[in-house]
Amino acid sequence: MSLLDTPLVVALSHSLDLIAQRQSLVSENIANIDTPGYHTRDIDFRQELERATSLDQDVARPPFVREVPGLIERPDGNNVSIDRESLLMAQNQLQFQTAAQLLHSEFNRLQLAITGGGQ
Amino acid sequence: MNLFSLFQISGTALNAERLRAEVVTSNLANSETTRTPEGGPYQRHMVVFHSQPASSFHLLLTGSLARSSAAAAGGVEVSQVVADPAPALRRYEPGHPDADKDGYVAYPDINPVQEMVDLMGAQRAYELNASAVQAAKQMIQQSLQILK
Repeated sequence: MSLLDTPLVVALSHSLDLIAQRQSLVSENIANIDTPGYHTRDIDFRQELERATSLDQDVARPPFVREVPGLIERPDGNNVSIDRESLLMAQNQLQFQTAAQLLHSEFNRLQLAITGGGQ
Repeated sequence: MNLFSLFQISGTALNAERLRAEVVTSNLANSETTRTPEGGPYQRHMVVFHSQPASSFHLLLTGSLARSSAAAAGGVEVSQVVADPAPALRRYEPGHPDADKDGYVAYPDINPVQEMVDLMGAQRAYELNASAVQAAKQMIQQSLQILK
């Protein structure tokens, strides 16, 4: 473990990665809002984050993408819900911002330690 | 994970929805057209949307080979623009130059209300995808803030 790989930095970078991947799935769902027969896809965020933080870092496996159950299908076989995707998009944005700012402040703390508290 | 691939995904949708709006406006513009290069009245056109293949197997395979390209696929594309096979409307206008021997003129079967609803759908979908692009932009800018 190097100086910069504190547990918080590792966890935050994993969650940033996962949020970005989730946002990519949300964009995909939104892009296919008028595609007949398309089904909404998502990842289980909590489960994937637990797995990413518990495993060794070099075992990089892409998250498991599954179809979301329980959504109402329209007559053309498409079940993308605008409300669900818009809410998820807002949630992803805020989660990403939170994680990015936490990471920023963690690096600031490390710099404070390196410079000896400005003495 | 490449944040810039989000632009690609939403970009394909912006393209597709714009084409859909173009086809709808072309239908509206030609709702009274009785002559076309192919002969006969104009035929109503429709777009066929098709999701670009991104099965979980594909995602797993490309993901293990090159993580950055894992999310590159998965947008939407217009696979074809098809003509509506509905028969033409026949109106009795004996003085019209395109009237047949009984005095009937063949007009395209285009319902303006249906076309307007389709146009609104395309517009709303375009807006939603544009806000997805905004979200991606914001996320990229926030990740740049980490450097400061």
